[in-house]
Amino acid sequence: MIEPADKALAQGPGPLSVPESGEPSSIVADIRAIASDLVEFRELLVELTIRDIRIRYKQAVMGVFWAILTPLVLLLSGWILRLAFGRLSGEAPNDAAMAGLAVKSLGWAFFVGGLGFGTASITANLALVTKTYFPREILPLASVLTQLVDAGIGTLALVLALPFFSVHLSTAFVWVIPLVCMLIMITTGAVLLGSCANVFFRDAKHLVQLVLSFGIFFTPVFFDLDAFGPVGARIAMLNPLAPVLEGLRLAVVHGHNLLQPLTSAHGDYLVWAPWYLGYAAIWAVVLLGASAVIFHRSEFVFAEYV
Amino acid sequence: MRPRSVGRVEFDAVWKKFRTGELHNRLRDFIPAMVSRAFRARAADGALGGGEFWAVRDVSFTLGPGDALGIIGPNGAGKSTVLKLLTRILRPTHGRCLTQGRVGVLIEVAAGFHPDLTGRENIFLQGAIMGMPRKEILRKFDEIVAFSGVEWFLDTPVKRYSSGMHTRLGFAIAAHLDPDVLIIDEALAVGDAAFQRKAFDRISELARSNIPVVVVSHQLETIARLCTEAILMTEGAVVKRGTPQECIAAYLAADQSASRRPTPTAVVIEEVRVEPAAVRSGEWVTLTLHCAVSGPGPSASESVGVRIRSPDSGEPVFETTALSLGHDLPQTGRFAVTMELQLNLPPGIYPLESFVWNRMAGRELGGGPGGAMRVEGGQEFQGSVQMNARAQVLTYGTD
Repeated sequence: MIEPADKALAQGPGPLSVPESGEPSSIVADIRAIASDLVEFRELLVELTIRDIRIRYKQAVMGVFWAILTPLVLLLSGWILRLAFGRLSGEAPNDAAMAGLAVKSLGWAFFVGGLGFGTASITANLALVTKTYFPREILPLASVLTQLVDAGIGTLALVLALPFFSVHLSTAFVWVIPLVCMLIMITTGAVLLGSCANVFFRDAKHLVQLVLSFGIFFTPVFFDLDAFGPVGARIAMLNPLAPVLEGLRLAVVHGHNLLQPLTSAHGDYLVWAPWYLGYAAIWAVVLLGASAVIFHRSEFVFAEYV
Repeated sequence: MRPRSVGRVEFDAVWKKFRTGELHNRLRDFIPAMVSRAFRARAADGALGGGEFWAVRDVSFTLGPGDALGIIGPNGAGKSTVLKLLTRILRPTHGRCLTQGRVGVLIEVAAGFHPDLTGRENIFLQGAIMGMPRKEILRKFDEIVAFSGVEWFLDTPVKRYSSGMHTRLGFAIAAHLDPDVLIIDEALAVGDAAFQRKAFDRISELARSNIPVVVVSHQLETIARLCTEAILMTEGAVVKRGTPQECIAAYLAADQSASRRPTPTAVVIEEVRVEPAAVRSGEWVTLTLHCAVSGPGPSASESVGVRIRSPDSGEPVFETTALSLGHDLPQTGRFAVTMELQLNLPPGIYPLESFVWNRMAGRELGGGPGGAMRVEGGQEFQGSVQMNARAQVLTYGTD
């Protein structure tokens, strides 16, 4: 015979004799768990990235051209702005300005592309999240990887175009490696945070939309740092993407060694100081680490919330 | 071959709490909630807050190689939650749940399909989601395609597939996972009859490959055929554990006593026995209804009866009473009614109900205990009635 559920059961487990499932874990243990998850599910990360790339180019007439369209439109917008302001100041944008715009447009396009697709990645894959198990980090990371492939195509186009802007290879190009790493880390951190927040409250999407639409006005993409004046330049550099993008421009276009400070052509104030590199690096490490841990700790309830 | 690990499933005093109603999914509501949570004692985890309920309450089981557990129970009993805990989609509020080895899940086998990708592309994607490395998929690719029967449409986007092709392909991928632990949830209704048979054979083969298996299904026959043990869940708690037959009988009995409200009757059915508990299609069973006349009065107009329902549709397939079989009941004391039935029925588990009948009113007054009858495959046949066919071959002389 079946007896009705025990009365004691209806009141919950009471004083707990069983071990807690959410044992407090250290940040180091979390990061180790994330790393081992990613190693175990690396094939899935690759497959999801391939999926995202395939979907993008299926039934799309322009195909690979899409990868360079966003940075190209950004470049065009920057050029128009520069042209307009150049008329006022009597200083037309030169080759170096255009090359700088192109470098920074590419970086910014990667950031907004990753953030845009990445934020929606968990909620867009509802069926997967509620029906199968895999480390949820895979979804936003696949979005970033997809953007990275696009950015790679864009970079190829840029490298082919640079000689026409009279930019030539210099030893300062090695700075591209750490700067691109920082850009990827900051983007990944922002994407992890955005996608995680988007699961719990839908306002996150609108907040991210604001960043995507207006962030470019708070980041030196269209303008170089010396357009802001001595105080403005310092404030602009608080944005962690500013030293990354400015660093990329100075290293690629001007062949500037980033360990040397640089003074503005218009005045005697600094537009680059070596410690900007450290500032951006700290941001990159802390943002990525913190968002990975936050994401990891909350991913187990995603299936209940989405 | 990949290195295999010994599959193991452990569920140790697992509790899972859910909330009903709206969650705060706006920042304005979320921040106050977070603040109050931060200042609340941790012990609150053991209690229920407003709008919360226990979906799983203190469920424990351990499965090793060769154990196959069937979970049965009415809707909302927590069966699916247990599966989600097993597959790590959910985490328990309390307790420990652990699955060791590669988990093969036959639930929503096509969940990872992307409509714009072709069948071929989706095999790799879905395979990766299920935990199969690309190399392994490449090795099994032809087998998967042959099993699914979608060879001609491999390079067609799956959005143009019929729903049958869609699930067949999904099932074929899942069926080639080579798991250490197998979890099955109603995945058996896949495609047409021929594919269903093929799918069921494949599932049986996997289930008998000496790995732990967990099956959740409303098709009780499936549980009876695949499982070595079973639990019956009601309102999140385990109310019975035992052999699949025992749990199924308890489930069916509980199912009908819950759905029928008792009317006071003079005759009370105390117990129903089925001898033997399982027969081959076309054989006889004896039902014994142990009854008692509890009060004076209208018992002369009362009779007792049984009803057998279809395992698939729940529709009655047979119903009779002692009265219609030509027997009046005694007016006092305890008595037993036996009925012999020839089960000319296809294999399955048939819910059995007993009831008290009023000959004057011409209607049922109340229910008695129930049970189940298990019919196993006897003489091969297709259709809904076992006719115990006999055949002879006569030859004509040549001259």
